[in-house]
Amino acid sequence: MVHAPGDKEPLAQNAASTIAAGEIESAFALLAEMTRGFAESLDLEATLEQALASIAKHLNAEAGSLWLLDLEREDLHCRASVGPNPIKGIHLPMTKGIIGRSVAENTCQCVFDVRTDPAFSTKADDESGMVTRSLLCAPMSFSDQRIGAIELINRRGGDGCFRERDVYPLQVLASSAALAIANNRMAASLVDAERARRELELAAEIQRNLLPAARPDPFPVQGLNIPARTVSGDFFDFISIADERIAFCLGDVSGKGIHAAMLMAKTASLYRCMVKTIPRPAELLRLLNDEICETATRGMFVTMAAGLYDPRTGAARIANAGHEPPVCHAEGRFSIVEAGAPPLGIVPGVEIPEAELDLRGGSLYIFSDGLTEAETKSGDPLGREGFEALVSKFADMPLVSRVEAIVDHVSQLTLKDDLTLLAVSDEARSR
Amino acid sequence: MEHAVREEQGNLIVSFQGDVDLEHSPKAREVLLGCVAKGQDVFVDLSEVSYIDSSGVASLVEAFQASKQKGTRFVLVAVNAAALRVLELARLDKVFTIHETLVEGIRGGT
Repeated sequence: MVHAPGDKEPLAQNAASTIAAGEIESAFALLAEMTRGFAESLDLEATLEQALASIAKHLNAEAGSLWLLDLEREDLHCRASVGPNPIKGIHLPMTKGIIGRSVAENTCQCVFDVRTDPAFSTKADDESGMVTRSLLCAPMSFSDQRIGAIELINRRGGDGCFRERDVYPLQVLASSAALAIANNRMAASLVDAERARRELELAAEIQRNLLPAARPDPFPVQGLNIPARTVSGDFFDFISIADERIAFCLGDVSGKGIHAAMLMAKTASLYRCMVKTIPRPAELLRLLNDEICETATRGMFVTMAAGLYDPRTGAARIANAGHEPPVCHAEGRFSIVEAGAPPLGIVPGVEIPEAELDLRGGSLYIFSDGLTEAETKSGDPLGREGFEALVSKFADMPLVSRVEAIVDHVSQLTLKDDLTLLAVSDEARSR
Repeated sequence: MEHAVREEQGNLIVSFQGDVDLEHSPKAREVLLGCVAKGQDVFVDLSEVSYIDSSGVASLVEAFQASKQKGTRFVLVAVNAAALRVLELARLDKVFTIHETLVEGIRGGT
């Protein structure tokens, strides 16, 4: 005999109406106890065992088992059992037996008396050594999600057979267990998501510490980075080396997310370590390229511009590996430093040319494409022209405020990528 | 992004349409690596790709590197002007073999 939970079929209604008042009270008490147990316990396994034992006791069952759908194995897994033959841990194919049918069809399966049901097979009894006289099986489901089933075998005392009125309480209790299991799973996935979020924030903090601390004016190099997500694929660095010259760089890793952030961390760390002994930009980028190529993965690469500025002469040497051309603004005119080599991490052994610039009391700007690709209100990208207009607008500001003003302005637009800007000012020499 | 793969005279021709960006580059990667894995020469038609971002370029780079390992050709053909500008700006035209048309690509050595 089969009927679906929730359907207002005559059997369940009759069953409910024939339950004595005392039994209803006791079923409610059990339901309340189970719900409290589920709400209070974080240990789902123990709570399921407890709930199954309570249900079997309430319905006077000789044995009971609770089965959950194993999505990976696509079968049913016994997660709790009570009675003389413990079967916890065993797996059953979905396509076989009363339990499989109950879950697959989301219906209660009842064999009140096996002696009057010719369709009942005694094969399972042969394997378990138990003699089945009567059984009830109620599915557990939540929303559209099939969760599993609870099966009870043999009523204690009398003829050993369950009655129609036992079906209704089992359905109610199975529904309560299903809700608890669904809640527990949701809570577990929230905990996982929260853990991942915290780890990402920690990664972001470590990344921020890889960037150099801001230096107050009149230090001639400043930079700012705003990640599009928690972590960034962009980085910049600057460092004073022995003879007053300042080495600087800005890089942008392909893609976004944690994999870009990890390559960013590697490249930034390599740069910081190597620049102290190899400050010449072209030589440094050549070595960085070979190093990154050795561990390249998934086609990822780094576009990078590196330079060396001499505050005594205003001369800057720049090497550009596949990066958006840096912009030089001097004496009211703009010029660019185009890439002379492909990005780092693609082809080992590439020679990277070096350009020599005279900043002539002006400034050099290096930025990631997150800046030029930021969308203006009209939906068009800001572009290099838009950036140059901002540079002209804020040109009279001291360097720290100017970099902040430009980044602040761009971050008001729709950002599609990490936004990073580094500026080298030669203005102190012109004053 | 849409894509199509066809076989002509033992060559695989992959064409993409639309944006090859962060959202679509995993699919582009899967298609390109799948083609390279077959051991045939691969020609990628980018005439209908108006925007390609760095994650899209990384998919091309990975497939290009895989083809080098296999000793097969991996050629970009009929690259849309906007996408070509991105590749040229980053000097990736020095990395990839790029031809103006498919016919030239198939004819034109590595």
